[in-house]
Amino acid sequence: MSVSELVDEVGANLAGLESVWDGSMSDAYAFFRHQARPEVALAATLVESAVALQDLGRTAPDPPRLLLGDLCLARASRLLADTHDTELQVAFAEAVERIAAQAAGGPAARDLRELLVAAILGRR
Amino acid sequence: MISALRLDVPTSSATEFVDITARLQDAISTAGLRDGQLHLQSLHTTLGLTVNENEPLLLGDLQAMLERVAPRAHAYEHDDLTRRTGVGPGEPRNGHAHCRHLFLLPACTLLVEAGRLVLGQWQSVFAVELDGPRKRQLALQMDGDFDANAGGVAHDRPDRELVELELARQLLVDPEPVREPMQRLVEAGGKRLRPLLTMLSSRLGTQDDPLRAAALAAAIELLHHATLVHDDYVDQAATRRGRPTVAAHEGAARAVAVGDYYFAKATRIIAQLGNPDVSSTIADAVETICLSQMDDVRLRGMYPGDYAAYLRVVRGKTAALFAAACKAGAQLGAASTGVVERLQRFGDLLGIAFQMTDDLLDYSVSSGKPLGQDIRQRTVSLPLIYATEDVRYGARVRELLAGPLEDRDIQEVQELVGATGALERVGEEARGVVAAALRELEEIALDGVGPQLADLANSTVDRVR
Repeated sequence: MSVSELVDEVGANLAGLESVWDGSMSDAYAFFRHQARPEVALAATLVESAVALQDLGRTAPDPPRLLLGDLCLARASRLLADTHDTELQVAFAEAVERIAAQAAGGPAARDLRELLVAAILGRR
Repeated sequence: MISALRLDVPTSSATEFVDITARLQDAISTAGLRDGQLHLQSLHTTLGLTVNENEPLLLGDLQAMLERVAPRAHAYEHDDLTRRTGVGPGEPRNGHAHCRHLFLLPACTLLVEAGRLVLGQWQSVFAVELDGPRKRQLALQMDGDFDANAGGVAHDRPDRELVELELARQLLVDPEPVREPMQRLVEAGGKRLRPLLTMLSSRLGTQDDPLRAAALAAAIELLHHATLVHDDYVDQAATRRGRPTVAAHEGAARAVAVGDYYFAKATRIIAQLGNPDVSSTIADAVETICLSQMDDVRLRGMYPGDYAAYLRVVRGKTAALFAAACKAGAQLGAASTGVVERLQRFGDLLGIAFQMTDDLLDYSVSSGKPLGQDIRQRTVSLPLIYATEDVRYGARVRELLAGPLEDRDIQEVQELVGATGALERVGEEARGVVAAALRELEEIALDGVGPQLADLANSTVDRVR
């Protein structure tokens, strides 16, 4: 699938987030798309984008990047809620909890992508 | 009649001035004391009380004065544990703190009139930590004339306690680096309006389950606090409810992580309830909040904005979660579509009234908020919008707002806003919005929760913080 086809596929769900859709997001979406339907693949991509935008665990982002990251997380949450798949929502939330706790100085977590793939495949 | 209670005051620094004015006012309102006295007493020998001005630079001066009076590095007989008797393990070396305590009050009495603490314009009440951080407690007693219907607040006590227990239970299992700052924020108080609205709304359907409702209510409160943690970083706020913000105390990077953690945790708790409608309601609300937060930041470039822009931001940033708290509660309780819709509108209007009142607190010395914070941060605010429309002073207000907003400018803006009558106008409008909210409930069979919902609705405009 080409980048333009990918963008077309997720189009409406990117409203307000067009500015964050860059090459790395396309790559991430293409990666998750192999394993999940469009909405779930986009949710996983948005979670990765949020963590990158907010530079989680490193330096604090400037406020606009923080807010964009928040919107990415919120959009991902809404996409997952729309699936009505409770297990999937819980697994995604746990992945973010682990990454955020680690970023705050808590227990070490696995790589985010690993956690998201496990969530998608139901292998928490 | 005497009403007695204990006030928990967790502290976060070695020396700290914790503004407890708003919490004392809450205690008075909750007890229904109209006219009388509030007695408060520290239960510790290194926690004092004082009444002074909540001005950050002054608080720094006071801390410096305490350090000069009894320097921490000085040698104190009390700290020579080899000569003391009855010393237990972990005995702190805190001679300096005991000496400093001599200059503060161990107890004090404050007057209450018409349900309000009698305080001068610049007076705030502080618990002063001298050997923190610790979990502290104050003893409170109130005597005087109480409202006959003071139980109006008391009869939401089981719900309130259930929410507090659920919040405590949820926080207990979290990793310490995220739990500690969130616990400090949660324990700093708050009326728990959103979770109480959820609890009450959940009873208006056919599946009343208080434990599931409490889980949802606590998750909504955690979500609210997660947004506050990020908001405080965006707004560069140093304090919230008289305490240091997470960004100010733990640093911005950790604040970002704490906010994300509790956002995710709240969505997980909600998902685990297994009600897709509830999950969708909250997810939609969170998305709306995020979009409005970005809108709000954008609007600061067009400060102070207009009424339509104000309403759009307030509906998104504040009212969306109030509306979702009511709607999701009703959905969880399996209320009919008509009831769910009415409760959503009720919550939306309450959120608007709440924010209008919050705008007024920027001009209230007893709010626990630094005065003029909204003006300083160029936050969209209704009193300012109305003041700029004033025939006599509007031009000067606009001129000041277009400038650099130094301290003297902010003070002048505050005085001018007061002179225009904008504060009274906003207060009146907020009460009108609450009346409209209550009209939304008129067609619903309220199943005994009507008085509590009315109490909560009125408390959005009858508050000091």
